[in-house]
Amino acid sequence: MDRLKIERVGGVAGFGGPHLKSRGELALSDLSAADQKAVEQLFAEPDKVPAARRGQADAFSYRITRGAQTIEVPEHAVPSAIRNSVKDVLE
Amino acid sequence: MPCTCCIIPNDVLTRLSQDKKLSATLRKQLVDTVQVSHELRELRNQAAKLTSVTAARSAGLVTLAAAPSVTAYDCKHTQSLPGTPVPKPKTSSDGSVKRAFNQTGKVAKFYQQVFNRNSIDDHGMTMMSSVHFGEKYNNAMWNGSQMIYGDGDGSIFVDFTRGSDVIGHELTHGVTQHSLQLAYSGDAGGLNESISDCFGSMFRQWESKQDVKKADWLIGRDIMGAAAKKKGFTCLRDMADPAAKHCLAPQPTKYSQITPGMDPHYSSGPPNLAFYTACTTLGGYSWARIGQVWYHSLTGFGPTPNMTMKAFAARTRQGAHTLYPGEAAVFAAVDAGWKKIGL
Repeated sequence: MDRLKIERVGGVAGFGGPHLKSRGELALSDLSAADQKAVEQLFAEPDKVPAARRGQADAFSYRITRGAQTIEVPEHAVPSAIRNSVKDVLE
Repeated sequence: MPCTCCIIPNDVLTRLSQDKKLSATLRKQLVDTVQVSHELRELRNQAAKLTSVTAARSAGLVTLAAAPSVTAYDCKHTQSLPGTPVPKPKTSSDGSVKRAFNQTGKVAKFYQQVFNRNSIDDHGMTMMSSVHFGEKYNNAMWNGSQMIYGDGDGSIFVDFTRGSDVIGHELTHGVTQHSLQLAYSGDAGGLNESISDCFGSMFRQWESKQDVKKADWLIGRDIMGAAAKKKGFTCLRDMADPAAKHCLAPQPTKYSQITPGMDPHYSSGPPNLAFYTACTTLGGYSWARIGQVWYHSLTGFGPTPNMTMKAFAARTRQGAHTLYPGEAAVFAAVDAGWKKIGL
């Protein structure tokens, strides 16, 4: 089964630091057919990941890991199924 | 159901729109999405170009208004921006709307009265806020043209509009976008975040008429939820003691501790400490002298997107001389601040 590990980082609070984490996991098959194909494409061509919007600050981005490969995608470009998979926790 | 996915590059969407295995309805929606995505991308590129051109030619611009309009929108727990306009935000029964509106107006007054700046762009730009963004959304941000506030999850964080320093922080990102135009990585990213913390904290102190001794120098104290407080976290960041255990996001204290690729919310620690040290070395109100030096360094020289912390330190040292030629104590305080962090 092809699984995606997701970590949400950034934001005004600095998610991804030592105490504040936001993580999730889902199977590629949980995504719609279109999103599955898109994710496949992004992992195949990571240089085509959309850039963060110029001038914006404190926005989240998502580190999406499949196997040994990780890509980082700005929140505005992440499908809601992936956005909603994470849970914020204190460590 | 309309296709709302936006992770997908246009060439992939185009290919999918020609995939006969997909329904005709979906293929039509994919074609529509390609068109809308293209137009949105053009709009964003144009907005970025406009900001650059405006900054370069701001002296000749006509001011939109003598004082900025302040507007508020309700996203109603969706992520659709800007949301529904709120007709009378000042008297709204919704606490988030009322706080975002009133505090944004006070930030406008702070910049006008203390720094003689007319809004985010210094030309009366409308200050727009959207509240109730997303579901239990643990963030506040500046998206390049407006402020966005989440409600918090009620556990780690409460409503982000409860932090006046958070509101000042977000609006200052807009000021930076319309002045130095700092990037969001490396030294420039850390400076970008630090400048928002400095002016967010200064705004909170100005609002409460606190001098540098009375100020707590905490960032995000008023948005901490019960679960965070229970673990001993009293703030996001502490400008006086960036590495303290009570910080949810503890930061380095020396410039040499900043590592490549570090999140700007962490690399902002050393310049935050430099500002705090300069303010407390001089004494009085933070915005009276040291704040003026930082503002002059931020707005007085045009865009420098990749500015290093060392270059910003040099600019503030020079600014202390330029703005206060007869007050050696101002330069000494600024110098002490940067030396504290190894610059």
